[in-house]
Amino acid sequence: MEAPLSAVVLDGLTFQYAGAPGNALDDVSFAVPAGEICWLYGRPGAGTSTLLLAAAGLAPRLTGGTVRGAVTVTGQDPQTDDGRKALRGRVAHATSAPDLQLSGIGATVGEEVAFAPANLSWPIERIRPAVEAALARLGIAHLAARQPAALSGGEKQRVVLASLAVLEPPVWLLDDAGSALDAEGRRILAALIRAEAARGAAVLVASEDADAMAELAHRVILLDRGRVAWDGSPHALLSQELAWEHGPGSTAIAEIARAAWLRAAGQKFAPAWPLDPDEAAARWS
Amino acid sequence: MKLHPFTPFALVLAVAALAFILPAPSGPAALYAAVAATALARGMRGAVVAGAVVSLPLWVFLVLLHAILPGGEGAAAALAQGARLGAVATASVMLIRTFDPSRFLDAASAGGWSLGAAFLIVSTMQAAPRLRLRAGSILEAQRARGLVAGGSPVARLKALVPVTLPLALGTLAEVDERAMALEIRAFGGGGRRTPLEIPAMSARDRLLRWGAVLAVSAAAGWRLL
Repeated sequence: MEAPLSAVVLDGLTFQYAGAPGNALDDVSFAVPAGEICWLYGRPGAGTSTLLLAAAGLAPRLTGGTVRGAVTVTGQDPQTDDGRKALRGRVAHATSAPDLQLSGIGATVGEEVAFAPANLSWPIERIRPAVEAALARLGIAHLAARQPAALSGGEKQRVVLASLAVLEPPVWLLDDAGSALDAEGRRILAALIRAEAARGAAVLVASEDADAMAELAHRVILLDRGRVAWDGSPHALLSQELAWEHGPGSTAIAEIARAAWLRAAGQKFAPAWPLDPDEAAARWS
Repeated sequence: MKLHPFTPFALVLAVAALAFILPAPSGPAALYAAVAATALARGMRGAVVAGAVVSLPLWVFLVLLHAILPGGEGAAAALAQGARLGAVATASVMLIRTFDPSRFLDAASAGGWSLGAAFLIVSTMQAAPRLRLRAGSILEAQRARGLVAGGSPVARLKALVPVTLPLALGTLAEVDERAMALEIRAFGGGGRRTPLEIPAMSARDRLLRWGAVLAVSAAAGWRLL
């Protein structure tokens, strides 16, 4: 069986913002195949947002700065005009600021979600059912006739995600897109990510929510000051000291993973969280 | 039934033309009164107030220039200029407040406009409301940090810097962010947009548009003959 084609390929990607003393990204190389959920982790300033912007073709064109190396998204170079033209509507990029991602043009949530398909000249007969399906996937069908600007932050974020899901893009670039969501919204986002990957989309998720991503992601790439410091499975990362040094370790799931790992190695370690129900009962009863 | 999105633009253009064609000072003053009365009749008292606030600094300047300082053209000239500005400002505020970007884009798409040209108008029309919203949220945030924005003129003046500086910087950042969001949503880059619902051109639209053309033509003819 042939290996799936990589949807996103970075080859020696180096990026420097104008006036910045160092590189935001420094010789970053990796490939994300179709169907993979890749978690990007790094402390603030590690370069995860810049990486997603460069992959979307938005940096350096709209952010300023200089880029070296190569980026390929579904075989196209988003840094070129032809590449961007070919990628119109095929790359879903979302951040944690829903107010800035709404077009401001749709008078209703339904129109907002229909905005991108209309721009892509989809026939109206295709747009209407696709919008209904996207609203249902994000659990906001009941908001279809509401004004986007009048919604809560979490609802707006779901509208943004529905506006991207409607296109069924082959590549998702999510930059902390779950941070504005409530618990139900985060569950819906996780289900969306899983479903999109199962459909064959490559999903890159920059997130600090290690508890959620450890279960969701197939792979984690740890960035440290713009360089790849780790590339492997989330569970492997969370059960070692590297995770603690770079931040993901400060979560419940990482602490449990580390405790289990140390206990298996015969070392004593008292985790903040119990490792099984009996220990929980003993500690909290 | 809503007006076709292009009709209000035609009416504002007609108001602007009439403001300068009608004989001063009674013509512009009557036009200003008519525009303000229309706004009030449509429940848009805010547009009348906003129009007056926008034109107030110029009113003061015009009165100083024409009625008080030597060499001016008199109070009638000040009244005419101020009424012209007031009429156009009030009509423009009415247009901005009733502007529906989605319907406008649909109408523009149906009319074969390029997306870029349509967006230029949409973004211009949305600039003022967005700025107002952002200024409101910055003001609230600064008040929460202890800024006193009310009271004496001096206190209000002092409050300007902590509000306008983040407003200007935030607006600049928002331009980039919005450009990114629109690009991700396939806005721009050529191609015709599918209108979600083509706005209908009603008999009322035709009546208003032809009425505007006739009014401007009649006023121009009257002044020329």
